[in-house]
Amino acid sequence: MIATLMTENDWAAHNVRRKNLGAHVLGVTAFAGGRISIHWLMPSGQIAEENWDMDGVEFPSLTVELPEVAWDEREIHDMFGYRPKGHPDLRALVRNPRWPDGFYPLAGPNAPSKPQWIEVAPNNPAQTVEGEGVTIMKVGPTHAGIIESGHFVFSIIGENILHVDLHLFQNHRGVEGQLQGRPIGSVWPLISRICGADTVSHQTNLAMAVEEMAGYQIPEEIQWQRILVLESERILSHLNDLAQIPAGVGFSVANQRALAMKERWQRGLEVIFGHRLLFDTVQAGKPLDVDIEALGTLIVELQREWRPWRSLVQGHHGFQDRMEGVGVVRQSDALRLGGQGIVARASGLTFDARQQMPLYEGWPLDYASETSGDVSSRFKVRLDEVEASWRLMERVLQRSRIHGALPVWEPPSDLAGQAVTFSESPHGLNAHIVAVDRGQVIRYHVRSGPFRNWPLLAKAVAGNAVGDFPLINKSFELCYSCLDR
Amino acid sequence: MALKGLKLVGKPIKALQLRHVDAGSCNGCEQELTALGNGFYDMQHFGIDVVASPRHADGLVVTGPVTDTMKRPLVQDWDAVPEPKWLIALGDCAAGCGVFQDAYACHGGVDGMRTPDLVISGCPPKPQDILQKIALWRKTLG
Repeated sequence: MIATLMTENDWAAHNVRRKNLGAHVLGVTAFAGGRISIHWLMPSGQIAEENWDMDGVEFPSLTVELPEVAWDEREIHDMFGYRPKGHPDLRALVRNPRWPDGFYPLAGPNAPSKPQWIEVAPNNPAQTVEGEGVTIMKVGPTHAGIIESGHFVFSIIGENILHVDLHLFQNHRGVEGQLQGRPIGSVWPLISRICGADTVSHQTNLAMAVEEMAGYQIPEEIQWQRILVLESERILSHLNDLAQIPAGVGFSVANQRALAMKERWQRGLEVIFGHRLLFDTVQAGKPLDVDIEALGTLIVELQREWRPWRSLVQGHHGFQDRMEGVGVVRQSDALRLGGQGIVARASGLTFDARQQMPLYEGWPLDYASETSGDVSSRFKVRLDEVEASWRLMERVLQRSRIHGALPVWEPPSDLAGQAVTFSESPHGLNAHIVAVDRGQVIRYHVRSGPFRNWPLLAKAVAGNAVGDFPLINKSFELCYSCLDR
Repeated sequence: MALKGLKLVGKPIKALQLRHVDAGSCNGCEQELTALGNGFYDMQHFGIDVVASPRHADGLVVTGPVTDTMKRPLVQDWDAVPEPKWLIALGDCAAGCGVFQDAYACHGGVDGMRTPDLVISGCPPKPQDILQKIALWRKTLG
């Protein structure tokens, strides 16, 4: 092991300095063998890296200085057994009492085999508020609808939420472990299915990682196609979330009409890209077969339904009233906890990773931002982003009209190296940290947008009526699968 | 007349009220199941609905490869459904042929709990396929 020259104070100072320069954490990645790497996306678009090489199984926690890494460090503790020294809340995040002692799935070089689970309930201790009149209300992991699984422990007084303790990772499949030791060429179907809502963003990250390691630059026509499929996904996901928010307050007409727009959009995507949810569309170095005319027509058809729908929802005072002032995320919290995507942009922050992605360089893009941080702002940002996406798509489609046959590139079978790639998924900054040797995955770490936003959801619901939790939750619409992996 | 009604107990019913359990899905199957409620498919029109409690349900519709953490809640939900009851595996993961079969925290579908009465394969299955398969299968119940 390489002896570290960095002191604990340096470790904190270096990383805090990055944060103060306006950088965003891409990932806090542990590697078998005792290295912790923090990758930062600098405002310039450069990726900076800080490394801590452990002597033993402890590393200095940064949670006090950088609260946004609290969950990253807890996850490393659970998955590797490495101990973040000085972490203020080292409860299990992914693990639960069913996990055998000493089972640390990512601590070795290969895919872990299935352990002998202990026959107890998977419940972890909850953080609750104690006091006269405080009631504890537990919800989930299964829910009264078509919803992903998660367990929430509410401390409530009267109608109001004092605190919610999030017990997520119920859907932890062990994807990062499953990827270890696999030929990189065989991981596409898995990466495509990390999350059904942000799949194109995940696929694009993998494609960029493979191309970067091989030193291959895709032709600009393929870049344009990637923009088209990424923005198609953004519209698809936003339409879904825009349908869910009115459903949260019983505004059925707005819900149904948005679901209808989503359905038409999906049917179009199936014809154009071959899949209703855009699974298995992006590949390293490969052009997509995009029907330019059909995509242009699909956008026009969406616009026809969209405009009266937008007038309906924005002109409905009852609906607007229900959203205003509910589930407020303060800008200072969003900044401190590293909030991403719509959640951050609805609280006055303007970061959108597309500003830093080489893929989008040279394309004019209108970035949406609101300031009140409530459900209404998150709804509004999505409205504006749908329109910004189709405007960008129309520009790209115009330029895409003339092109000949595109070259098809095959990645080498003995690929080696490390790459850190990122994209702006519909749910925020999504980063992949990929290490490959002789064509096989050594480490594959996925850090999606929802990971940073879940702790902010807990902040946003405190002080609100418990009956508004579904509405606030829907306005975040965080994927569980992206988080749990 | 009341006795005649009682004879129906134990026989399949035409309406189908289902409780959904996500046992580790990527959210793809959830999206397509939700789509069955839009005006294009309108599953309620066919007497099919997703209900809020297993106690109100005729069966479970399960998605995902059954993660270890969700195994117990899934069994508890199944036990809470009154007899007679049916188990539907929705999507390749729940059916035991999805891409996450080998992952260390997955049990490889619902089969470990009980053989499903209906398997709807696909990744994810399309809404019209879900609806058609449920409709055809329901006819076989008599």
